[in-house]
Amino acid sequence: MSASTEAAVIHRTGIDGWRWFGRLFLVLLLGFTVMPMLWMFITSLKTGFAAMQYPPQWWPTEPTLENYWRLIDPTSSVGQDFLRYFWNSVWVSTLTTILAVVVAVPAAYAFSRFRFPGRTFLFFAVLLRNMFPAVVFLVPLFILMRVLGLVNTHGSLILTYLTFGLPLAIWLLKGFYDNIPVQLEQAARIDGATRFQAFFLIVMPLSTPGIIATSIYSFIGAWNEYIYAYTFLTRHDQMTLPVGIQRFFSENATDWPGLMAATFMMSIPVVVLFLVLQRYFVRALTEGAVKH
Amino acid sequence: MAQVVLKDVVKNYGGVYAVNHVSLTVEDGEFVALVGPSGCGKTTTLNLVAGLIPMSGGTITIGDRDVTDLDPKDRDIAMVFQNYALYPQKSVYRNLAFPLQMRKMDKAEIDRRVQAAAKTLDITHLLERKPRELSGGQQQRVALGRALVREPRAFLMDEPLSNLDAKLRVQMRSEIKRFHQDLGATIIYVTHDQLEAVTMSDKMAVMNGGFLQQYDSPANVFANPVNMFVASFVGSPAMSLVPLTAVSKGTDVVLASPEGWEMPLSDANGRKALSAKSNKVVLGGRHSTIQVHKAQVPGSVPGKVYTVEPTGDVTFAQVFVSGAVVNVSVAPSFQLRPDEPVFLEFDQNRMHLFDAETEMALTL
Repeated sequence: MSASTEAAVIHRTGIDGWRWFGRLFLVLLLGFTVMPMLWMFITSLKTGFAAMQYPPQWWPTEPTLENYWRLIDPTSSVGQDFLRYFWNSVWVSTLTTILAVVVAVPAAYAFSRFRFPGRTFLFFAVLLRNMFPAVVFLVPLFILMRVLGLVNTHGSLILTYLTFGLPLAIWLLKGFYDNIPVQLEQAARIDGATRFQAFFLIVMPLSTPGIIATSIYSFIGAWNEYIYAYTFLTRHDQMTLPVGIQRFFSENATDWPGLMAATFMMSIPVVVLFLVLQRYFVRALTEGAVKH
Repeated sequence: MAQVVLKDVVKNYGGVYAVNHVSLTVEDGEFVALVGPSGCGKTTTLNLVAGLIPMSGGTITIGDRDVTDLDPKDRDIAMVFQNYALYPQKSVYRNLAFPLQMRKMDKAEIDRRVQAAAKTLDITHLLERKPRELSGGQQQRVALGRALVREPRAFLMDEPLSNLDAKLRVQMRSEIKRFHQDLGATIIYVTHDQLEAVTMSDKMAVMNGGFLQQYDSPANVFANPVNMFVASFVGSPAMSLVPLTAVSKGTDVVLASPEGWEMPLSDANGRKALSAKSNKVVLGGRHSTIQVHKAQVPGSVPGKVYTVEPTGDVTFAQVFVSGAVVNVSVAPSFQLRPDEPVFLEFDQNRMHLFDAETEMALTL
């Protein structure tokens, strides 16, 4: 009996040891991801002079929100630029998201429910795009946009982001529709719904978590995208935030606190979106992992 | 409620016939069970009646209307699914109300009907719950309720009891039967369980390989199966089938076994046996019509006990006869041991004879 108790104790310490190792690892990981964000925030509160000091001020001696006020002040030129970029980003990302959902929902539903010629081929063709690095498509897409007369328009970005975001959106949503029993629609159709009503009233509400996850994914993808925005847009008034913020580097000497403030503000919508909708996101990515 | 008529209904996928020229009439208020092994086309037939899949040929009428080309919503039918298909995001109340809302009924009338249906099925206390908060039996009732509220022309049920545990299944079986009697509803009920079909239905349609094999009352299907498939599918334990050869001996006819023994047939059975296309005949007998003897009696055939299964009030045994397995039953006091030689006496008035070539029952 004593032998078995001993074995149990040894076994326990084994698990505890791994648990502590796991915690340590998570703390390191957390530090790795949070530190840059934290430093970005701290720097954004400094004056231009304080930001360049060495050794650095770990906490600004004179914390100031002046950098932020400058960015959102519509009367200053910096504020005007920043707000325009911000608005451009919101516009492009939102429109991309809406279009992605509008296209992905019926496409995913069709892939999930209907058997049509070329279904498998099309489905994998949709994924083919994701097998190549984005830069490969840069020049061809630029030429295409020029032919279409879309260079220097937000349309070029929205179209491009859709080609990138849609494949995953469709895959994600198809998984959702696969998991919704077809009998639900059949029941609805017998209960007096048309095919569209059965989809709209019964199936689509059930896929809300999937639609939300898809939206977040599309939005963040479009919001953060840099290289295409940098290539397709040359006019200042068209620029989105990632490209626009870069201008803080290039013009005159780098205004570090201003740059950090702008970067911080750029990350706010993404963080807020994620925090509010994260439970849907997790549910969407794990949906179908186990049978309910 | 209304009559449902299937005429020459066909469903094929490419060259494969899932439903092969099925014709049957379900009278107004009748409970018809579509029964058969999995893949026999019974569920496909039900889906065709519901309009959920397009037909390849034939017509279906419900009441006086040809519904062949109508959408499910216009057929005025209700369906209960194997997995219940309750709308997970809606409360029980809204599940029941949905078919009425779709028909643009006014709110007061919807409420009246939902409450009435809930009362009938004893689910009033569950109306505010979501389907996932209900037990299997309760979900089943809600599914029935959703079918009931609309007062449709016919009810279609697709294995509604197969997801329940054994005890609840027996209980719901009698409830559905009661439901049918009280409403005088026309019900088409799909099941793979022949016992469910026999106990619940007014008529049963036995299907196999997309073909309708036999359509009759359970008693008639049980007593006069038209072919070997129906004979072996309906009844538990199944009817035993022994392939033999019919031989004329003067005025008498006997069934001869390759093992060497012969079994004399009555006059009527002799004429049946001779009507077979060749002399190959299959002898069929249900356990209740076969007597087991320890010693040879006139007309009995030799066999060897294979297994013995006491169930308490009756003991079932399997006996090898001429290479085939024959199910028999004896009183628990009748001791049988495996490998024991026994003699089986088939009741001449209740035995079945089939043509081994066509597999059809031999009749006069």
